[in-house]
Amino acid sequence: MLGRAGSRTASEEQATLEAQLHRVALGDRDAFDAVYEQLAGPVLGVARRVLRDPAQAEEVAQEVLVEIWRTASRFDAHRGSARAWALTMAHARAVDRVRSADASARREARAAELMVVPPFDEVVEAVEARLDRERVRRCLEGLTELQRESVTLAYYGGYTYSQVAHLLSSPLGTVKTRLRDGLARLRDCLGVG
Amino acid sequence: MDPEVHSLTGAYVCHALEPAELEAFERHLARCPTCVQEVAELQETAALLASAAAQTPPPRLKAAVDARIAVTRQIPPVVSHEPARQADRRPRRRWFTALGWGLAAGLAAVVAVLGVRLNDQQNQIDQARQRSTAISTLLAAPDVHAESVNVSTGGNGRVLVSRSRDEAAITVSGLSRLAPGKVYQLWMMGPSGARSGGVVPVTAEAFDSVLAHGLGDARTIGLTVEPAGGSAQPTTEPVMLLPMPA
Repeated sequence: MLGRAGSRTASEEQATLEAQLHRVALGDRDAFDAVYEQLAGPVLGVARRVLRDPAQAEEVAQEVLVEIWRTASRFDAHRGSARAWALTMAHARAVDRVRSADASARREARAAELMVVPPFDEVVEAVEARLDRERVRRCLEGLTELQRESVTLAYYGGYTYSQVAHLLSSPLGTVKTRLRDGLARLRDCLGVG
Repeated sequence: MDPEVHSLTGAYVCHALEPAELEAFERHLARCPTCVQEVAELQETAALLASAAAQTPPPRLKAAVDARIAVTRQIPPVVSHEPARQADRRPRRRWFTALGWGLAAGLAAVVAVLGVRLNDQQNQIDQARQRSTAISTLLAAPDVHAESVNVSTGGNGRVLVSRSRDEAAITVSGLSRLAPGKVYQLWMMGPSGARSGGVVPVTAEAFDSVLAHGLGDARTIGLTVEPAGGSAQPTTEPVMLLPMPA
């Protein structure tokens, strides 16, 4: 599913991930170890990006990885890759947590901080050496500034698109559109689908 | 199709919708195949954004996850009530010969596949093969233990357990047919309660085994009669209790 930009290794790894997840659904602990090996890094990383707080990110990562074990039988390969299934879950959990009441104070602090710190630089700085990193960075650079800021604030920042509009002082409709066309451009650049 | 709603796919994938909009968008999604496709593609894209942010997890995370999954019951998969007769016949014979259990044909028996979706034939073949391999591996385990008991309502149950492999193969044969609307259900029973091991449909000739992984603290395998579809917890007295070594 990585298409033209995906290396053979990456798509093989992905096919393996689906097969392993199927075995996890059968209660196979070795398969779970293999799934953990591939997904713990990105699960933790995305939680960390959204939440900023390492302790909370680790809690979320733990919840998500246990949820992968618990609900492996519900993964449906017809609806997308195992990686997307797991990372969508991780992102949703991290965003839920950031929007919860107990995180609101930290959120306010972050909002102030983000007004002065361009989020994109931060993302680039924080990412770990991985096959995907360079491609994603290159593709993010190919977006217009407003597309890139909208996508990074919404996805990595965990903001709603109306909050993004507020942070960027842009009309709501524009941010909504930039989120969609920004992601679509990333999709084409990354060769997804 | 409302183009305004449709354009929310990007925000949806970023989990960036306000609750009211989220609801409206998901209602729209349910009847917009184009959006479903777009959402799927954008979700794959977002997954790459997540991968790009990957961090090396500390070893304590693995330890914490392992501790949790050891006590976390997995959601049982959708278990088909159609036994995989053709697909299973050959491998079944092979490993039953190996086991030497020599069960007579014509016994009422059960087919239950724990943790397996019986959706298509290739799956069934693969699963039968996997099961047969798994059982020979189980038999070769140094600590394999066999146990058998009678089922109080007729028939008998056998189990092969290996604690080192954390696996058990359970076979139940000669079960009485149940009234319509009732099913047999297996349970993994331990100090922390009973976990479902799946519903076992009884058929006239089919005979198969259940392979259970992740025994956890289970010390006994139980069999109860439950309403169709199975129960979350046993609702009747077990008709079989198969002890397993600690």
